[in-house]
Amino acid sequence: MSRYSRPLAVALLSASTLAYEILLVRVFGIEQFHHFAYMAIGVAMLGFGAAGTLLALVRPGPTAAERGFVAAALATPLALVASATLVHLIPLDATQLPWSLRPWLKLALVYLLLALPFAVGALAVLLALVLERERAGLVYGASFVGAGLGATLALSILWVALPWRALAVPAAAGAVGAATVAVARRGPAVVAIACAALALAALALIRPPWELRINPYKALPQVEAYPEARRVTERADPVGWVVAVEAAAFHHAPGLSLGYQGEFPPQSALFVDGDIAGATTDWSGQEDRRLLDWLPTATPYVLGEVESVLVVGAGGGTEVWNAVEHGARRVRAVELHGGIAELARESMAENAIPDAIDVRWVVADGRRYVSSAGERFDLVTLGPGRGFGASAAGVHALNEDYLHTVEAYRDYLGGLTEDGVLAISGWVTVPPRRSLRTILTVGEALRGVTAGEIGDRLVVVRSWATFTVLAKPSGFEPRAIEALTEWTRSRGFDLDWRPGIERPTPGFNLLDEPVLYEAAAAAVEGAEAAEAFEEDYPFTVGPVGDGRPYPHHYLRAGSLSLFFGAERGSVLPIAEWGYVALIATLAQSLVLAAVLLLGPVLLGGGATTGEGLGLVLAYFSAIGLGFMAAEIAAIQQLTLLLGHPVYAVASVLVVLLVFSGVGSMRSDRWSARHGWAAAAVLAVIMTIYAAGLLPLSRALQPAALPARGLVTVSVLAPLAFLMGTPFPLGLRGMARGAAERVAWAWAANGFASVVATPLAALIALEAGSRVLWLTAGLAYAGAALSYRAGRTTAATTARSRARA
Amino acid sequence: MMFLSRSPLFRLTVSALLLSACGVEAQERQGDPEQAERRRAMVEQIESYGVRDSATLAAMRAVPRHEFVPGRYRDRAYGDHPLPIGHGQTISQPYIVAYMTEILELEPGMKVLEIGTGSGYQAAVLAEIGCDVYTMEIFGALAESARERLGRLAYDSVEVRHGDGHYGWPEAAPFEAIIVTAAAGHIPPALVDQLEVGGRMVIPVGSVYGVQNLILVTKRDEGEVRTRNLLPVRFVPMLEGLR
Repeated sequence: MSRYSRPLAVALLSASTLAYEILLVRVFGIEQFHHFAYMAIGVAMLGFGAAGTLLALVRPGPTAAERGFVAAALATPLALVASATLVHLIPLDATQLPWSLRPWLKLALVYLLLALPFAVGALAVLLALVLERERAGLVYGASFVGAGLGATLALSILWVALPWRALAVPAAAGAVGAATVAVARRGPAVVAIACAALALAALALIRPPWELRINPYKALPQVEAYPEARRVTERADPVGWVVAVEAAAFHHAPGLSLGYQGEFPPQSALFVDGDIAGATTDWSGQEDRRLLDWLPTATPYVLGEVESVLVVGAGGGTEVWNAVEHGARRVRAVELHGGIAELARESMAENAIPDAIDVRWVVADGRRYVSSAGERFDLVTLGPGRGFGASAAGVHALNEDYLHTVEAYRDYLGGLTEDGVLAISGWVTVPPRRSLRTILTVGEALRGVTAGEIGDRLVVVRSWATFTVLAKPSGFEPRAIEALTEWTRSRGFDLDWRPGIERPTPGFNLLDEPVLYEAAAAAVEGAEAAEAFEEDYPFTVGPVGDGRPYPHHYLRAGSLSLFFGAERGSVLPIAEWGYVALIATLAQSLVLAAVLLLGPVLLGGGATTGEGLGLVLAYFSAIGLGFMAAEIAAIQQLTLLLGHPVYAVASVLVVLLVFSGVGSMRSDRWSARHGWAAAAVLAVIMTIYAAGLLPLSRALQPAALPARGLVTVSVLAPLAFLMGTPFPLGLRGMARGAAERVAWAWAANGFASVVATPLAALIALEAGSRVLWLTAGLAYAGAALSYRAGRTTAATTARSRARA
Repeated sequence: MMFLSRSPLFRLTVSALLLSACGVEAQERQGDPEQAERRRAMVEQIESYGVRDSATLAAMRAVPRHEFVPGRYRDRAYGDHPLPIGHGQTISQPYIVAYMTEILELEPGMKVLEIGTGSGYQAAVLAEIGCDVYTMEIFGALAESARERLGRLAYDSVEVRHGDGHYGWPEAAPFEAIIVTAAAGHIPPALVDQLEVGGRMVIPVGSVYGVQNLILVTKRDEGEVRTRNLLPVRFVPMLEGLR
């Protein structure tokens, strides 16, 4: 085998498994629900660690290791095709999981099938490490660089191919890896299997042996079941798979007044990943546009003339039409999702807006737009839709949303004209959650930009289905409030808060408790009262900041017991299951990792490895945890800088993996004696990043994209370079190249990385990204200490042996 | 014959025969004792969740839910969960059926409109209370099988129509109660119109597959409409247009 054929094969196999992971998250996110996709793939990743346990128990000699490497390399592309095919043959209905045991057996089978290619691919890399003990840095580096290229490949292919067709691409990359091994080995059987793998991958590319199977209870199949429903367009990019369905029966008008008696204009439903994402509407009929004035989002137009409007998260364009219909002359529609914006723009062109009205669509993050565009608006409005989080982009389903933080609301208020109004709408939930957080967040943002009382600057309107919070820093005029009161009464909407209100008034849409009034009263009273209100409420509904941008996360331990312990009238809302799925993923990963790692060690697997195995496991677990925590913290904070979750996920994955690879390769030239220093320096850098990266991201947000990209690379590259070094240094310095110890090290690192993913997500949710950086730093500090202790133990043992 | 029909003995015999037939019918509906026992346990559970209306609980105790689920799910018919019935539709969990029925404050003889027949279970519960039930289903196959099933189980006070629920059943309006068992994106104006003054409508509303809330709509004497959010639920969406 030539000097570089093995590292090359390792790079290609790593590329194939990482690309498979990214694409699998996309495909499962479409077919099932995102929470389930996250759980299934999160657990399946344990296959990486399982390869280490297997090797530690089998203890192959050099010849067997060589044969094993070739077999694993050849099996990887076959496993990739088999996994994707067989998983699609299991009729698993995730919605039945809470009700029956049977689907759990199917889920276990799904876990096994998903874990298979990761286990086989990891086995090949691990055996290469065992075979190349003197060049561990090169092999591990090749694995990193390959994974980085795999991430690039997966995200690139998603621009041009539908995700389930793209699922064949990793197998093709794996087959090329297998072919590399075959060329080096030149045995007839090996060549034949490699050719078969290439042919199979090519066949899967041309005609995938699997089909997209969307859960029948997702919105897309439900709407497509409407009479004469017709899919009019579909397009895919890494943010999501966008589908538009034309159906006469489909209606989308959030919170429409019960007093509306007119007809509905024709609409097309918009979907992202099979979930509803709004609608485009044929507003060409003058009569049809009457409907717009019966929507709660028309509220700000009752207060006075509105010349210029910024619509953040413009979706299918309803709010753009609302602005036009109510006399706006300049409208900016900002939408993060290019596919949705394109469809909305096409729909508007067909409906022909008069030339005199300046309407522009911008594909961007609304917050960045308002802080960098240099325009001011009479109205900044955010509709009831949700922003897209990194979950849509792929690997880390955290759902961070920087559009609804205190800092974001301050940015919007800063983008208003002197008498401008900020309007934020959302769906009413039972028990109320989002409405309360919006009121408290708007209150805090208002206090930050204006002096004095804010009671006359706040309005809260509620229909039977939605709420709208209005903020006007210059204060609402009494005449405007009179007009508003009359208009809301005519629509059957309630005014939960208005200037001068002294007590909650009986309304049209009854609540058990007047909590929206109470929240607004607390927000007006001040920060302390708002805090006290949140503490008394069973959900966490207080304002969130950029450091913990999870405005859609409301559960806390107390509220979980409220749901599960109370009478059956309280059912945990489906939207909150993400948190439960995260905890379930963590619990399952912990249990399986303990069984697959600690079980064999305790049962005697480590008996022959001598002293210090505990320190080896601690070191490699710590660097696994540190790496994943840093990766997730970086994705979260750089999403704010780059303004797009796909850019953040792509840049962090690629830069982190490629530069880690370079660092790993370079580490072969470093002495293992001071291996602890790399981990110690990383701990220091991460502590600095905990303090500085978020303010830097915020400060540079208005800069041009190339400048922000350059900053991203400059920030990440040195960090990544160092992050690539602890593993190979540890192999040389702590595991000392012994095959069994290398295997245990791999297993510990693999399991820790998988467990760290949901754990880091949980830390980010509960404590924020700064604490996540500190956690990563702490993990590396722990690794440095383990390394030193391990070296000391080894030296003491060696001295004792010498004396003996 | 004329004589015979006036004879008390004849009347007694016919009554006995009819009663006997009804008894057989009721027995057939009930299913085997094991199913009846499961049903009793299901109702006990529902009662423990807070449903108190005796008419609703009696109806739930009487309607053989296992007849309304596909054969392969029969052993799970009395668990408190929804089950698939085909066409991407589900039969609601028993608690929700009981909760929605109780909220309507029904009395025998009331005229009730149901939108979303599904397998016919909710309609059977309403009929068991003694209501005249008008139920509409968008899927032709489901409407047909529900009609056959309800007929076989002798729920004669139920009229099944294959039709579009968004426009209600104007010929039979107004209704003292309306129950919608499939989520709508908005509250259809036709249903508000067809609700009698003083009537109650219960409907799951929300974005098609986002947040859905069970909402009680009441029409006051002066025709003013009030709503109350009851609890979060997840239903199959209501379809419009025939299928």
